[in-house]
Amino acid sequence: METKTDRFMQSIPEIIRTIPLTHYILLSSALFAIGVLGVLTRRNALIVFMAIELMLNAVNLLLAAFSSYFSDPAGQIFVFFIMAVAAAEVAVGLAIIVMIYRNIQTIDIGLLNKLRN
Amino acid sequence: MTPVIALSLFGIINLFLGFTFKRQSLQVVTLLFIICSMALTAMDWNHEYLWFGDMMKTNNLSINFSLIIQLAGLLVVAFSNGFGKDEVYTQPAEYYAILLFSLVGALLMVSFQNLIMLFVGLEILSVAMYVLTGSDKRNLRSNEAALKYFLMGSFATGFLLFGIALVYGSTRSLYISGILYNLSHTAPESLPSFLYAGIILMGIGLLFKISAAPFHFWTPDVYEGAPTIFTMFMSTVVKTAGFAAIYHILDVTFGGFQKNWIITVYFITIITLILGNISAAYQQSAKRMLAFSSISHAGYMLLTVCANQPSTSSNILYYSLAYTLATAVSFAVLMVVAEYQTGRTEKPENFDALNGLAKNNPSLAFAFTVALLSLAGIPLTAGFWGKFFVFTDMFNKNLTYPIIIAVLMSAVGIYYYFKGIISVYFNSGEIEKIETSFLFKIALWSACIGTLVLGIYPTLLKSIF
Amino acid sequence: MIESFGYVLAFLVAGTGFMALVLTLARFIRPNRPNDEKLSTYESGEAPVGNANVRFNPRFYLYALLFVLFEIELILLFPWAVVFGDKQLAAASENWKHFALFEMLIFIGILGLGLAYAWVKGYLEWEKPNIQAEDFKSPVPPKAYEKFN
Repeated sequence: METKTDRFMQSIPEIIRTIPLTHYILLSSALFAIGVLGVLTRRNALIVFMAIELMLNAVNLLLAAFSSYFSDPAGQIFVFFIMAVAAAEVAVGLAIIVMIYRNIQTIDIGLLNKLRN
Repeated sequence: MTPVIALSLFGIINLFLGFTFKRQSLQVVTLLFIICSMALTAMDWNHEYLWFGDMMKTNNLSINFSLIIQLAGLLVVAFSNGFGKDEVYTQPAEYYAILLFSLVGALLMVSFQNLIMLFVGLEILSVAMYVLTGSDKRNLRSNEAALKYFLMGSFATGFLLFGIALVYGSTRSLYISGILYNLSHTAPESLPSFLYAGIILMGIGLLFKISAAPFHFWTPDVYEGAPTIFTMFMSTVVKTAGFAAIYHILDVTFGGFQKNWIITVYFITIITLILGNISAAYQQSAKRMLAFSSISHAGYMLLTVCANQPSTSSNILYYSLAYTLATAVSFAVLMVVAEYQTGRTEKPENFDALNGLAKNNPSLAFAFTVALLSLAGIPLTAGFWGKFFVFTDMFNKNLTYPIIIAVLMSAVGIYYYFKGIISVYFNSGEIEKIETSFLFKIALWSACIGTLVLGIYPTLLKSIF
Repeated sequence: MIESFGYVLAFLVAGTGFMALVLTLARFIRPNRPNDEKLSTYESGEAPVGNANVRFNPRFYLYALLFVLFEIELILLFPWAVVFGDKQLAAASENWKHFALFEMLIFIGILGLGLAYAWVKGYLEWEKPNIQAEDFKSPVPPKAYEKFN
């Protein structure tokens, strides 16, 4: 009954566990920090947007790692939810960026300073 | 449970009603929908139960929060007036539907028992608000506000999620009950140190949403750029739901770790109070002043979160209700005056645009005054008791210095709120009689009377909360 | 731990070395007679026109949006499918299958309503560009062109 694929799938958590948990935490913290830096330093709205996606994916990685370490599916389900919600955000965010591009022909966020004064 | 399902259904129905209904009838239908779901919410009173696979919990606290949020939604819809008369660019059915959807998000945020639901609720609320902020498509200020809100909002969501992931990693559960169980059954020394980072990051993510300083920099721009009716929604519903979530996370879930987050939150609270009030005093635009005032009110509400007394939840409820009523009224008056002044003065949202409002529109002027007095915390209004309960909480906890700062800052608050009252009553200006719809008048008067009644009989609702 | 990364290094070195070796070898033994046809991007005969950095028409945006919506819906179907196909759960309760199927139908139904909304609103219509007739009046009658065409 149990096929080779099944056995492989079941061994995935063990394979993941061969790397210590600290490494996953460090990796996703590094990715998250890169994302934060990207948001804070880049001026192009699309790149800022991609940096935010990087932050979300760092979280996804961390959740998946924790989830297989604990053999608890809740973390992976959370990853699905984050993906779905991120897609909704992408839809709205791109619409906003397109709308701005139509009005001012640029997506440089440095030029958006109408509200400052 | 039922109101969440009902509101989602109503939202979808509203989308399709837009094909046949006129904007006035859509407004009435939406009002009926919200009243219906408020009734459904109230029916659960005194029934405590878990639902959606134990992910949500209804109890009296969550019902109270839900009712305040829906009341705010009701006021916004009543003030909305079908979103002006522009036939081509405004799509009232969609706006009403999105308002209903974001109410669903807010309801999830006040009754979550699982961190997934906190995230989903927050996102339903925020994504809907991004759309509404940018709904004035041809207006560059609205566009800019939408982009800022969107980028800052998703940035904050990233922090919240990273915090949730770290908390999940250290407590092995996403359920609040599971987290509490694991925390109480593990020795504090054996908890991984990134738990504390997780708590702080979650706090930061939520503090972004309620615009506490130093995460407030998006607030004035977004509040000013968004169409006023949606600014009203943002400053009432989002703030109330955000505080419900902060209370649930910081006080209920991680109340035992108070010594780990209290310093950070104190710092944030005091900065919020000082920055919000001092900057508000400098503003020429009344709408921007109200934005900074919403920051400063977040500071007062954070004080009671810091105190973490048994009465904290009821204080947050009372403060939210008082703040919601007063803010809704002040934004509503500002909205109709700005609509009238557009084309007549350069900056229709400045204090100057309100000059001489009392001469021909005594009722609008009176409502505006009551609302500003309540926001300033003058006795006989609801805002006074809101502040009073918060300060009592702090006093019980022997937190003297924050009280001194808070009292000083409310004195500053009196200065800038009175600026509005002075321009309405004492400055000379020409404003003709402004016609408002019947629903607008009812909503305005009931919110005003609510503010006064709560100010005179605070025990009326304090006994329920 | 760190020494196990030695394998990675060995792979990197070996891979780079192998590629360099093979490419240099090939360079010496292959004939080198380029012509225009061989150097073109698509040897199939498709002539590349213009810059690759063209802008897409924003009309595609709505379609992309609807695609993303249904694609993401699929993600949420995976955990559902795992639970739905679980034999133990199906054996435990008779109505399990119907209940799970019904729930999924509600979920897809809501998305379908969204699609229906976009349809009724007319967002699925492909907006054809409105070609305006030229107001230029040519002194040459149209018949004169037919002679040449």
